[in-house]
This record gives sequence, structure tokens and C-alpha cells, in this order.
Amino acid sequence: MNVIVYIGIFHNKYAKKTSGLNMSDKHESEKDQFKKLLTEQGVNEFDKRFQILDVFLKMENHVTCQDISRQLEEENMSMEPGFIAETMELLCSFGFSHRVKFDDGPIRYEHRHLGFHHDHMVCIKCGEILEFKDEALEKQQADLAAAYGFQMLRHKMEIYGLCARCQNKRDLIMSLSMAKAGETFEIRELRGGKKAHMRLTSMGLRIGDDIEVVTVQPGGQMVIASGDHRYVIGLGLAKKIMVIRADPGPADVKLLEPPGETKLLSEMKQGQEGVIVRVAGKTFLRRRLLEMGLNRGTKVYVEKYAPLKDPVEVILKGYHVSLRVEEASHITMEKVR
Amino acid sequence: MKHYTIALAGNPNSGKTTIFNNLTGAHQKVGNWPGVTVEKKEGFLKKGDCSLKIVDLPGTYSLTPFSLEEIAARDFILYEQPDVVVCIIDAANLERSLYLAMQIMELDRPVVFALNMADLAKSKGIKIDEHKLSQLLGLPVIFTVGNRNQGTDLVVETAIEEADASPAGKKGRKVKYNREIEKCIAGLMEAIDTHLPGLVRCPVRWTAIKLLENDSKVKDLVGKLDAQGAGEVLDLAQGYRTYIEDLFQEDPEIVLTDGRYGFIAGIVKKAVSVSARKRADISRNIDFVLTNRFLGFPVFLFFIWLMFQMTFSMGAYPMEWIEKGVGLVYTLFDHVMPPSLFKSLVLDGIVTGIGSVVIFLPNILILFFCIALFEDTGYMARAAFLMDRVMHSVGLHGKSFIPMLMGFGCSVPAIMATRALENRKDRILTTLITPFMSCSARLPVYIILAGTFFGNQAGSVIFGLYLTGIVIAVLSGRLFRSTLLKGEEAPFVMELPSYRVPMLKSLVFHMWERSKMFLKKMGGVIFVGSIIIWALSSFPRDVAFSRDYSSDIEKVKNQYTMNIPHGDEELEAAIADIEKQKEQERVAKSYIGRIGRFMEPAIAPLGIDWRSGVALLTGLVAKEVVVSTMGVLYGVGENKSEALKDALRNSGMTPLTALSMMVFVLLYVPCLATVMTIWKETSGNWAMFNLFYTTAVAWTASFLVYQGGMVLGFS
Repeated sequence: MNVIVYIGIFHNKYAKKTSGLNMSDKHESEKDQFKKLLTEQGVNEFDKRFQILDVFLKMENHVTCQDISRQLEEENMSMEPGFIAETMELLCSFGFSHRVKFDDGPIRYEHRHLGFHHDHMVCIKCGEILEFKDEALEKQQADLAAAYGFQMLRHKMEIYGLCARCQNKRDLIMSLSMAKAGETFEIRELRGGKKAHMRLTSMGLRIGDDIEVVTVQPGGQMVIASGDHRYVIGLGLAKKIMVIRADPGPADVKLLEPPGETKLLSEMKQGQEGVIVRVAGKTFLRRRLLEMGLNRGTKVYVEKYAPLKDPVEVILKGYHVSLRVEEASHITMEKVR
Repeated sequence: MKHYTIALAGNPNSGKTTIFNNLTGAHQKVGNWPGVTVEKKEGFLKKGDCSLKIVDLPGTYSLTPFSLEEIAARDFILYEQPDVVVCIIDAANLERSLYLAMQIMELDRPVVFALNMADLAKSKGIKIDEHKLSQLLGLPVIFTVGNRNQGTDLVVETAIEEADASPAGKKGRKVKYNREIEKCIAGLMEAIDTHLPGLVRCPVRWTAIKLLENDSKVKDLVGKLDAQGAGEVLDLAQGYRTYIEDLFQEDPEIVLTDGRYGFIAGIVKKAVSVSARKRADISRNIDFVLTNRFLGFPVFLFFIWLMFQMTFSMGAYPMEWIEKGVGLVYTLFDHVMPPSLFKSLVLDGIVTGIGSVVIFLPNILILFFCIALFEDTGYMARAAFLMDRVMHSVGLHGKSFIPMLMGFGCSVPAIMATRALENRKDRILTTLITPFMSCSARLPVYIILAGTFFGNQAGSVIFGLYLTGIVIAVLSGRLFRSTLLKGEEAPFVMELPSYRVPMLKSLVFHMWERSKMFLKKMGGVIFVGSIIIWALSSFPRDVAFSRDYSSDIEKVKNQYTMNIPHGDEELEAAIADIEKQKEQERVAKSYIGRIGRFMEPAIAPLGIDWRSGVALLTGLVAKEVVVSTMGVLYGVGENKSEALKDALRNSGMTPLTALSMMVFVLLYVPCLATVMTIWKETSGNWAMFNLFYTTAVAWTASFLVYQGGMVLGFS
């Protein structure tokens, strides 16, 4: 039931743009090549493997073996997990797929279309995976390797961080306890009683200091650095330190693929339909929304707004629910039509 | 003979009540869940050699400890341990209904699923494979059609089978969460077993899950355990929570909820197929008119007007009969009994007291019929949908509109109507401000006072009073919302159920049960209250009169018989006059009169004299009484409005003092019946608070009116 971890939102517009071919044509040609190659090599159980390729090509995503197995099951073709894994490795070895592994996540596979290289950005909060390509960076890497007298054969670049959407969702001033390892901050406020204040000051942490979160341990204890010093801070104390992100610096990067267009439910018009990407808001509201079936992945149709423009009536999972516009503004939608 | 308890659980609008009524017929008992004003319904049924007690749990969407209903339902399953829980599931809304069902299954009692409204689902093109569903869930699944009483027998039979098999009865396949979560659950379960062996009364796995979800009730429960390990278990749970939060970047509650939905989605995918054939949705078409941008409000107002008319106009006839009936009883006793203290008690205390309660009955019956009609058809949700924008600006829920509007008629049924609100805070808030809506019993007071002192402007003055009431209600609402009842507002996320044709049986039943509750609860207290007021105004008996009234009467009699031979009428009038004066003095010297005099300094700044003060006191029983008391105290006898007007004019009252008095009547403590209703529907503290708050507001407002008026040069 691993539905939360890294739900990749993959946009393959890049490939579409760069290739003259239409995507499905491309997939057809891949399948033809596959048939040819595998029959030449005399691989066993060809039909079943072909089905796996078929399913894999249909999924525009960074998928795990589990995902493939689930998809196969849906199409009534259950297969042994071992067989699927083996086939996926086979696909890699024949150059039809690419194996990627982000951080501690499971092994994922993506389509490998010959001649197209790209790199990844992984959001550690929502798990979104962005693909990007920057010619200047590619060149810089080749030059760098050459400068060391090194012949670059292949490279892998993964940038971990917070995607634009997750950043926007964060408050500017936040408690240190919410921070992730690697972030840098400026201390803005020390909350809590006089005692906590004194303790922090005596440790040498003052308002205005720049700090970096070195590690965060399970349990919330964290190591932070200020100047040359390291400090160990428990969860309770971290909650009392209010910080502001030090370098929101807008990077001047050309996105090859802009993130999929999202809209708040409250911005949708009567008669529009969309799919829920995210439900935010306070725990109490969120639970209530989830209880009523407004969870991620649910298709929602905006039936109508009340005569005074608030609340709004929506249809989901076959029934009607009304909610206030303010509450609807906590729900992010995509694929709005 | 075997005795089993069967609990019925399910979403609101899942047809639970219909099935309950089908099962138990007339053999049911309605009460409240202990400690909360949530209706608890029990019914009894004999089946073969089994005697079954059927408990209708409140309809909820989930079992989180956020609302009273949810807590009541959960606690019942946990602590009363029903032998079987029957989950009533709206077959057309399988996915959402299963969410509650999953939580019930986690509570570890034998469960039977009843897929209700199977016909409706079929007509919507939803096909459910019951065998597959039953196999996937590991539970018996039965199709039912509640309003045609299909399948209910089978449900009962299956439930009995499951109970017989207990404790091995089928409890269903539990939700399996993802690996990390399962690890945490297993860790917590182990900790509970080692640190608190056998101390936790709830299922261990459930306790572990709830601790991960930071469930306040379960945390309290574990924390209160008299064992050293309790703290350790809680700490461990907190540790796991942070771990999950770090791992998923999401509250554990949300992660678990997603897990449940994932599990459900899997089941639904396998057991349900939806054919594309779509029929015209009647409910949607009705809504096309009823919540239409232009028609919605006019139609709503019409319905409300109709309800108002029915309640107070149609109700006026039976009220009149009751009034006559009470009057008849009064005269009957008056003739039969010899004059005595006991007679006075019976007539003025008991008969009048009971009369003042019973008189509300027609209003309440009709009102609750209308409200039941709104609720059963599904219109109530639409009314809230329409009105929420307006009510929300006052910090209230859309559903608060109906109780507040009913307040113009009578606060008692209005406050009882707040039960339609799910959230406790909304309920209390609405309850507290409803008495400011000027009820119909206050109208006679305005009519007399405004009619006497404002002549042609009387209408405008009365209208102004109503408006003042609304403004004060709105201001109070905002005040309470930002102080006493602060905190998160209940989300408005509300289902708009499909329209349904209501069943008369259930409407009548609903109406009768609530009215009965009203009679039972209110009756006793108001009765006692009336007797107290009666006693205060009738004692002490041996008043030291300033004049000898009896000898005066004798004198007048002699005068007439000697001098004016045919003046019987005049004689009677003269005697009545003297008796009025006697009554006036007697009341003035009774305890209540003394209290009036005692509190005169308090009300003097308002321009209200002690006689009006006493009238206000007696108005506690019912607001109409204010007029009749004034009649007595101003020496005109009861029910003589013209004479009273003259007397008032001569009493030194001015338009300003009259206005001050009216403002006071508008705002001060609602009648005893209302206070008692508030008590029963919220708590004694809130009732007391209301008592003081309204009086303080009334005093301040009257003070401002009177003193302001004086400053401005009115008199």
C-alpha cells in the first residue's frame, strides 16, 4: 500500500518537443526493435516480456517494479514479481529503459529514448520528479572532465530540494523544527519563556545569526551550525526558534518543462472538472475533507456556486458535497478542464 | 433464550433509520447518549429463540474523536461491546461508506455489511459483486432495500449467526498500511503488550493506530492508566509520529487516511463495475431549481414562510382549544373547591403552570414535523448551502438560520431545533443568541406599551425593537465567537444528499418523540417554577392592609342598598374597584412585591418603577404574564387593556420609560422554559451564563436608552 512515497509527476513534453516523431510512433518503433532484438537473441517467454514492455511504455512515469506489477494486474495479466524485475533488467541491458534510484527510494525505471539525455530534480517534500536539461551545464561538465584529462562516458546529476510549489506552501517565518537538512536560515525570533531564551543565548545563538541545518535525526533532534560551531538541539527547543530562509535566490534556470498547471479548487468555474493533487489546511479541516472523500487523485466536478458565490457544490465519487470557498482554497487541482 | 446486542452504524443519509424502524417497529426507546445531547435510539426484537436489542448509532462519516456523535458511536462499540455491528452502507456511495466501515472493522467486533439502497445503485448503473466484496473483506455482505423492507430479515439472521459464532465471528480483513507504518504499529503493539499487559481495554492494534494518529481520547486513556509504562508507550508513539512525519513529510493521520483509501480503492476496483449508462439524475434536476442562482432564495424564503405560517397560524387553533380547555378546568375547580389556600395553589399554581407548558405543544408538534420534513427530504442541507454565506459572516453555520428564525416564534422549539447542527460550538452559540430574537410572547407587552405611549408610531417602534434584537444577536454572536467559543470553526464540508420522498411513519415518529421529550423535561421544571412564583406572590397571607377593605365593601353595600335602590351594577363595579385596590395592595406587600421594592434601586436608573419590576419578575414564567401582572399592580385587574393603558398613562410612566421597559423586556432573561431548554440542550453553566448575560445586556441597553434619552431632553 505504498501510495505516498514519491508519486512522480512526470512530464514528457521535453521528449515530444525534441523529437520530430510523435510519441506513440516512437513507442511503436521501440516495440518493433524490441521484437527484433529479442527474437534474434532467443530470449525465452517472449510474449510475456513483450507485455511488460507494452505496459511500461504506456506509463509515462518513473515507475517501480511494483507499479508495473499493479498495472499488469489491472489489465488482468498477473505476473511473478521476480519475472518482472528480471525483465526490467533485461530492458535496461538492451537499452530500452533506464534505471534510476533517488536517495533511499526504490529502484525506478524510465523510458530510454536513444539520443536524449536529461537530468533530474527531486522534491524531497512531495516527491515530484522534474526532468531538465541545460546545454551550458552539459558543456561545463564535458569541459571540466576534459580539463582533468578525463573522458566522460556518462554522468548522472540529481538535484534534491523543494519544488516551487512546496516552497510557496511554506511560511516565510517558520519554526526551526520544520527545517530540512541542508537548509540555511537566519534566526528571527526566540520564543518560549525566559529560560529557553537564556539557554539559547548562553549557547551562543542570537537573533540575526545565520545557521545551517546539518542533520536532522529521527525524533526531531537536529545538529545545526552557526559560524564554525555545531550545536545539538532537541525538538522542543527547535520549535522555539523561529527562522527565515536565508537564500530564496530565484535561480535563473530555463525550465525545459514547466510544472503541470495547477489551480485551486476555489478558482475553478462552474462546470469544470479536475483531479486533486493536494489537500492542505489545518489538520482538522484536512481530516474532514479526507473523510468526505476529497483525497489525492479524486476527480472533482464543480456543480455550482451558491447564489451568494459561497459555498460551492462539487460532485465526486458520485455524490454531492458542499464546502466553503475558503475551504476549497486549500485544495490544489490539476488537469482542470 | 439468547440475548444479543446489535449496533447499527453508517453514514448519515444511508437509510440507517429506515432499517432501524423496519426492524423494531414501535418497540423502541429514544433517549440521549450519556452526557451528550445526541439522540440514542434503542429497539427490541424477537427472532426465533433470540431476543435482540438493536441500538441505532448516530450517523457519522468517520470515527475520529471530533464530534459528539462520533465519540458516542465509537465508545459504544468499544466499551459496550455489541455482539455484532451491522454496517449500513449506501451502495451508491460505496467508496466513502467503506471509509467508516474500515474504522469500524478496526474496532474488532464481528461485523455484517448491509449494502442498502441497492435498487438506487442499480439504477445508477453501479454493479457490485457481493461475493467478491464479501471475500475481499472477509465479511458477510447482504443487499437491502430499506424503504421496501427487503433483505432486512436476512441481515438479522446473518447477524445472529455471527453472534453465535462469537468470539470467532467474522471481524473482517483489517486495513494493511504500508510497510513503514506497519512497522510502527507492530512496535507500538509490542510496547503496549510489554508495558501495559492487559491494562488497555481496547483492541491493541486499534490502540496503537490511534496513538499514531494522536487521538486525544486514546492518549488520555493510556495516560491515565496507573502504570509506569504508560509514559513510555506515549513517548514511543510520539517518536514514531515524528519518524513518520519525517519519512512522508505529512501528518501521520493523513498518511493513515491515505492508506485506508488506498485499501478501499483496491477493493472497489475489484468488486464494483460501473456501466456507462447514465440516467437522468432527478435529484440534480430538483437542485437546478431549489439552489438556483435566482430562484434559490425566493423558494427558500417561501418554504420558511410556509413553515412559520403552519407553526404559528395553524398552531394558533389548537392553542386556543388548549387555552379554553385549561380555562374550563380552571372554572371547574373554581366552582367545585371552597376558597382556600389550597384552591389558590391548584388554580393559580398548578393549573396555570401546566397550562403554560401544554400551550406550546401544538407549535412544537408542527414545527418538528416541518423540520423532520426538511431533514428527511434532504432540503435542510440545501437551506444551509444557501444561507451559509450570510450566517458565516456572523460566525455561524448555515444551518443556524432555521433555529434563529424560529426564535421569532418561540425560543423553546427554536433551541431544540439547534440539534440539526453537528458541531457543539455552533450549537451553543446559536442557542445563546436565539433568545434575542424577539419571541411572539413579548409582542403583547410591546403592543400595550407602544400603543399607549407612541400612538401612531407604535408600529415603527415595535419594528425597531425586533431590529434591535437581531443586531444584539449578531453582535453577541461575534463576541462569543471571538471569546468564549473561540477556536476552529467547524468545516462546512457537508454532503448534499439525494432528495428522497420522506416516509410519513418516520416523520410522525420523529415529531412525536421530540415533542414527548419536550413535555417530559420542561413540564416538571416549569411546573415547579410556576408554583414558586405563585407562592411568592401569594404569601404572606396575613398582610397588614392599610385600610380595612372588608368594612369598606360593607360600607359601600349599605350605601347602595339604602340610597340607590336599583344600582346593582354600579354596586358591583364599586365592590370590584375596592377588591382591585385590595389585590393591588396585597401583591405589593407579598414577597414578590417586597422583592420588587428591594430591587428598585437597581432598576431605578432605567426609569423602571418597582411595579414594572415585579411584572418583569413574573415574566420569568412566561413573557405574556408581564402584561397581566402590570394589570394587577396598576390596579385595573387582569386582561383589561384599555383600562391598563389609562392606568399606565396616569402612573407617571413616560414614553421614555416605556421604551426603556420594552428594551428590557426584549433583551432580559428569556422565560423559564427557555432557560430550562438551554440547560437541557447545553449545560447548567451555559444556562446560568445566559441568564446573567441577557440580564446584563438588557440592563445596559435600557440604561443607555433611558439616560441617553434624559440627556437628549426627552422625558
